[in-house]
Amino acid sequence: MSKTGKTMAEKILTERCGRDVEPGDIVVSPVDIVFAHDGTMPLAIQQMESELGTRRVFDPSKVISICDHASPSPSEQVSNVHIFMRKFAQDNGMQFYENGDGICHQLIAEKFASPWKVIVGADSHSCTHGALGAFATGMGSTDVGAIMAYGKTWFRVPESFRFDITGKLPTHVTSKDVFLYIVGEITADGATYMSMELVGDTVRDMSVESRLTMCNMAIEAGGKLGMCEADGKVKEFLRQNGREGEFKPLFPDNDATYANELAVDASALEPMIAAPHRVDNVKPVSEFPGIELDQVCIGSCTNGRIEDLRIAAKVLKGKKAAKNTRLVIYPASRSVLLQAIREGLIETLVAAGASIGPPGCGFCIGRTIALGDGEKVLSTQNRNFKGRMGNNKSEIYLSGVETAAVSAIKGKITDPREAL
Amino acid sequence: MKSLRGSVLRIFPPDTNTDEVISGKYKYDELDLRKLAVHAFESIDPTFYSDARKAEKPILVAARNFGCGSSREQAPQVIKACDVQCIIADSFARIFYRNGFNIGLPLIECKGIADGAAQGDMLEVDFNKGIVRNITRNSTLKFKPIPQFMQELLEAGGLMPYLKRKGGYK
Ligand code: SF4
Repeated sequence: MSKTGKTMAEKILTERCGRDVEPGDIVVSPVDIVFAHDGTMPLAIQQMESELGTRRVFDPSKVISICDHASPSPSEQVSNVHIFMRKFAQDNGMQFYENGDGICHQLIAEKFASPWKVIVGADSHSCTHGALGAFATGMGSTDVGAIMAYGKTWFRVPESFRFDITGKLPTHVTSKDVFLYIVGEITADGATYMSMELVGDTVRDMSVESRLTMCNMAIEAGGKLGMCEADGKVKEFLRQNGREGEFKPLFPDNDATYANELAVDASALEPMIAAPHRVDNVKPVSEFPGIELDQVCIGSCTNGRIEDLRIAAKVLKGKKAAKNTRLVIYPASRSVLLQAIREGLIETLVAAGASIGPPGCGFCIGRTIALGDGEKVLSTQNRNFKGRMGNNKSEIYLSGVETAAVSAIKGKITDPREAL
Repeated sequence: MKSLRGSVLRIFPPDTNTDEVISGKYKYDELDLRKLAVHAFESIDPTFYSDARKAEKPILVAARNFGCGSSREQAPQVIKACDVQCIIADSFARIFYRNGFNIGLPLIECKGIADGAAQGDMLEVDFNKGIVRNITRNSTLKFKPIPQFMQELLEAGGLMPYLKRKGGYK
């Protein structure tokens, strides 16, 4: 007997597969957008060529290739990988984003993601696009190679985990803090295989950018998807990006079945920190007083959007980063950087002592800039695994943008509620 | 695939991540999987490779969330290249789970397996019935049978051979 009520994930797969699906079912679904970057695209191309004997993608308008992980290229090997990717994109007449255009997830959110689409990226943080109501998830290069050739893939329909987030966020507490709190509560595998459906009035009040921050981190709790409702805010986001026509509302049914549920009282939350070396090692910032920082990083696919740069500039206006603390800021995309220039944010940030990097992953995986032995860093990215930023003798703390900016000024981890 | 039999080579703790399976530093340098396999688990278990070479039909057992972390496919690939028959874990991280079937390595989620087996135990897996029989201890554990489609992937030897045979997704 098929049940009636469906979660957002179940609704999308039901529509795209043309039959009633239930958690645990294995289905074959068309894929609307497939993408890979300079860390994963080369192997995906190789898989297509060597295993399937083809270099032709199924539909060049639906396959996207991005140079962001090691960008601008730090070495001749990487430059050659980029040449290989460029050639493949040219041969297929497909879309290619260059060094400096931005991080794959930011570009996909700006230009391609919309409600009810099925999106697969060869990157674990592809769950980001659930913030726009898409069924979006990460896979390995073999899967992505097969999708590039056939335009379809198989899915196990996920169970859903409902997060009812209610109440007004206190000042200085952001969506990043909400999600860090959730990972701390349910741990790194608390939502394995599941669609994390983030609903409630707190989410409804959030900007789409703030929602992207939360969905981006679903994988850090093991989630297959992070999903938010496609409401008027999503419509407005699409309109601003010239894609209003792609809007179609998406909400879960009232009688949908969830494998698990968690109620979060947002009004009681504090700014959070994830301490080395686990994302679920989360405590309020007040429990980390005085930890001195060699570097503070603002950016990444988690927190490198215009709203993040506005927060950073507001905190840093007329101030300076501490003498012994390097402040590094990478806007998430070219359009974010352009907008930040127009608004005068870049001037404020540079005056405050920040080095501004070219749009891309930058510090997040240490391919183009790395930490030194024993250094401590506070970053707005999503992962703090040992060695993540290019040195396994360094320590990575994670936070939201406001905590990071305040801590840069003080040169140590600082509670924004005390400093601002 | 109906059943398989083998002995437990190792039991891994919860949250064993893909970096521990195969360090990221090797993945761009060595494309030959048999050679890459020499480095499997080397940071946490230096004798893994040599023990796997000596073992007959090795099976790996793990606690929950085996294979968490990055999406790197080399992780299940090096394990397969060590001639491991299958991995039975309390649970797997999602992308690792998918990658395993795509390369033709059976992964079985069986709650209680990590506590219910010891190194060297002889296990028999019945895929149709969804049973792991511990022959050494004369005990059994149940698991939810692997869906038909994923069994077909395994029988074909992985996703690419499957797609080649069928001419795409049907
Ligand atoms: S910014 Fe970091 S987490 Fe995001 S895609 Fe780039 S490397 Fe991955």
